[in-house]
Formats: sequence, structure tokens, C-alpha cells
Amino acid sequence: MTLSIFPPDLGRYSEIPMDGWTRPFWDAAARKALVLPRCGDCGSFRWPPGPFCPKCRSQVLDWVPAGRARLYSFTVVRQKPQGQGDAARHVAPGLVEFPDCGGVRLMAAIIDTPREQIRIGADLDLRWTDFAGFCVPQFVVRTD
Amino acid sequence: MKQAAAIAGVGATPYYFRGESAPQTPYELIGKAIIAAAGDAGIRVEDIDGIVSYAGGFEASLLIEQLGIEELSFAATVTGQGGGSAGILDLAAMAVETGRAKNVVCIGCSQQVNARYGAILATVAMTPEAVLAPLSGIVGPGHALALLAQRHMYKYGTRREALAEVVMASRAYAATRPEAIRKRQLTLDEYMAEPLLADPMCKFDFCVETDGALAFLVTSNERARDLRQKPVRIVGSAHGGRRDWGRSFFWLNMPDDVFATAGGEAVGKQVFARAGVTPADIDVALLYDHFSPLVIMQLEDYGFCKRGEGGAFVESGAIRPGGAIPVNPHGGQLSEAYIIGMTHIREAVEQLRGTAVNQVAGAQLALITGGPAPVPMSAAILGV
Repeated sequence: MTLSIFPPDLGRYSEIPMDGWTRPFWDAAARKALVLPRCGDCGSFRWPPGPFCPKCRSQVLDWVPAGRARLYSFTVVRQKPQGQGDAARHVAPGLVEFPDCGGVRLMAAIIDTPREQIRIGADLDLRWTDFAGFCVPQFVVRTD
Repeated sequence: MKQAAAIAGVGATPYYFRGESAPQTPYELIGKAIIAAAGDAGIRVEDIDGIVSYAGGFEASLLIEQLGIEELSFAATVTGQGGGSAGILDLAAMAVETGRAKNVVCIGCSQQVNARYGAILATVAMTPEAVLAPLSGIVGPGHALALLAQRHMYKYGTRREALAEVVMASRAYAATRPEAIRKRQLTLDEYMAEPLLADPMCKFDFCVETDGALAFLVTSNERARDLRQKPVRIVGSAHGGRRDWGRSFFWLNMPDDVFATAGGEAVGKQVFARAGVTPADIDVALLYDHFSPLVIMQLEDYGFCKRGEGGAFVESGAIRPGGAIPVNPHGGQLSEAYIIGMTHIREAVEQLRGTAVNQVAGAQLALITGGPAPVPMSAAILGV
């Protein structure tokens, strides 16, 4: 049976909580640029960005383009039908790995992709969706 | 240092389906469990001088006020919620062994009247560090842990039949356990026909939602010998964990060799070293089964089988009666009740006293694990 995958309903949330260390990610996202944090001293990537590099304790951070994306793991979540007679809807939270950025991973919804094509290891393409004055990264499985 | 503390008393409220323990308050439930534990041990409630819990909002001050406990010389909390459920025995043992307290009561309680645990992640995770998970469609911890299970299947070829076997074995044990909430037996066909809630998990892979409280009276081996029950020694206990597991399903950046695990390897090594025994010496394992795939991963973490072979191991019947390592003979959190790990301590004690409903013949050593959850995680080995 083919399942249709829907984007998650972001309407249940009202804002993106952020602090001084995560704000550059969201500021770039608002311009539809996906960037990831790299230690300005030793060059290691980390996620989430925080006050220290866990390798060298430096507080210097550079933000670099995320580059290629592929699916590290995923689940398909069945949501309760909204009303009587409605069919259940499915969303696909994905754990996305960035091989050009030390293999750090972010959670992002997999959208506009048939369930059968959502496989670990799949190459992904970035899509943006507007939310709360910012943009949230989502991905589709690349088919070529 | 050789560990020198024992569990001398066990107390529990009835287990209720989610919300049905109302109008009792959590403190009423915990108080009933403490009174029962003291009675089981044969000491007065007034003789309790230490209280240990895991994170989740149990105030020692209110408990001693309500129960008339005159003076505490030890009160502490393991920070790791369900991850700390076995760690409360570690704290209590340390208090008793160092002479800080004589009679330490370990408590745990679950009551889901106004909130369901499955929805907690939605609020916890709306933080700057973890906000991407809810924005991706993750709502409960089961959704996040499904990512680990999915990776385990991809990496090692683990089958859904293995998840089904964990659940079916749990139901088979629960059939004879009077306290069990889910006693109905489950067939593989029924399991496979059930829609997936969080691929690869269906509703049967999620633990039951229940209310209740349990309490355990910990004292020295020496004093325990003079009390009412056969002492059950805490022969090894540990709480801690590694940075590469860290916040686990709230982080999801564990190195690849750690990602598809239950994060218990470090604590497992610590607890076996403290007890001076090996996995082969364990007669019965009480593994934290909030979600069935985590049982398979813990069997690997704690050395009952090799990494990646947990699926085939359970499918061989290893966790059933008479198998290589019987797991959760009380039905566990998947079928009996979910009181955030506390029911596992009770079952370990009953197995070692020789009074369990599904008794493992001649059981002398039992392993208890805390939840595969953010560090600190925990484990304990009990023995007679």
C-alpha cells in the first residue's frame, strides 16, 4: 500500500526558540541559506552550536554552507485522523547527514516523496518552508 | 570497595491504567508505597532517615511532613528521569555504605492525569538545542527512538519479527501476572497486521501507560539480616554514561558505532566490574522496555549477545522461560505496567526472594537497567 507523505503541521508551534549560539543558523535560514557551525580554531563541526567546541573548548565559530545532504535515518509517523471518516496522515521526520560538514546531522521533514523512495542513504535536496518569520529546512529524496 | 547494602523491603500501590489512580495525588501514592515498604521490611516509618529518587519532582520535604518522618541524614536525586531508575539503588547503597543513613527509601511514581509522557518531548524539545526535532514532525520519545531502531535494522538486518518476539514474549509472561495491565496474548499475524505508528514500530512496541508508585527500603547487609525478609543484596550498581551517547534521542549526533545502540555499554561495563560477575552469570534480566527495539539493543549493550545480533538472539527464544537469558518475567513495561523502571526492581527482588509469579528456577543474580535515555543512565545487579 502506498502511503502519501505530508509535511508536518507547524501550526501547533508559535515560534522558534533560539539563543545567541543558534541565532546565526536561523538568521541564515531566513535568507534560505543552510549553514552549519565549524570551530574557528580546530575546524571540527558540531551540532547543535553551543558555547564551546567539545574538542578544543574554543568559543570561535564559523558558519559554512551545509553542502550535500543524505538520509541517515528516518521514521514515518502516523497521525490520528482529524475528523470522523478522515484517513490517517503520515509525516516523515528524517535525520539528515551532511558529509561535507563532518557528518553532523539535523532533523528535518522529508516531503513530496513517495514512501517507497524514503531509504537510508538516499541523496536529498533542500526545500524551505516559511515559519514564524524564519524558514525551516525540509528535504525531498533526489530522483535522477 | 565491595558493595554492602541490601533491599530489605518492597512496597507498591496497585497499578492503574493511565489516569485511573485519581483522585489520589502522586504524594499519596508514594506515601502508600513507602508505608508498605517499611512494613514489608519490618521497620517503623519513623526509622527512615534517607530518601532517594530520580528526577521528576519528588520533594523529600513534603514526604517527611506528610509521613511524620522526623529527621533525614540523606536526601538526593539522580538527575536522569527513567535513565536513573536503577541508579537510585546506587545512591542509596552509597549512603548506607558510607554511614550517612541507615534506612534509605528509594521512590518512584507515575501518574498521567493531566499529561501523557508521550507528549512530553513536544515541550521538552522546544529548546534552542532541540527545536528541529518537533519541527520535523517528531512528537514523542517513541518517534525519536524509532530513528535508532530504523538504523539498527538497516545496519544489522534486524527484522520486525524480532520486535514482535519481544512483545509476544512479554505478553506470554504477563498472562500469569495478576498485576499485568495487558494480558491478552498476541500472534505474529496480529502484530504484522497492525498499522505502523512510528516506522518500524506499531502500537504493540510502545509500553503501557499506567499510574502507580513503588518504594524500596535499602539498608546495610548486616541490618537486613535481622529484618523480616530474606535480604536481596545490591552486589553492583552504577549510574553515569558517555559523552558519545550524551543527550541521546534529543541529540541524535552520536557517532555511527553508538547510534544504533541503547547507550548502555559504559554503564554495563561499570556495573559488571563492580559486581565482579559477567553477563553469563546473570540468571534473569529486567531490561527497561519502554519500546521493544530497545530491549534488543540492550541485550547487545550489556553483553548477552554480540553487537548487531540482538534480533536473531531474541528470535531464537533466548528471552523466553528456559532461554539463554529470561527477560522481564513480570511482563515488563510493555505488558505489566510502566512506572518509569520501578517495576523492574520489584520483579528482581521477587525473583531473588523466590516468590516471583514466573519464577526463574534458582535465580541468584538479576540485572536491572535504567532507561535508554540521556546520561546519566544506570544499572544494578542484585543477588542472594
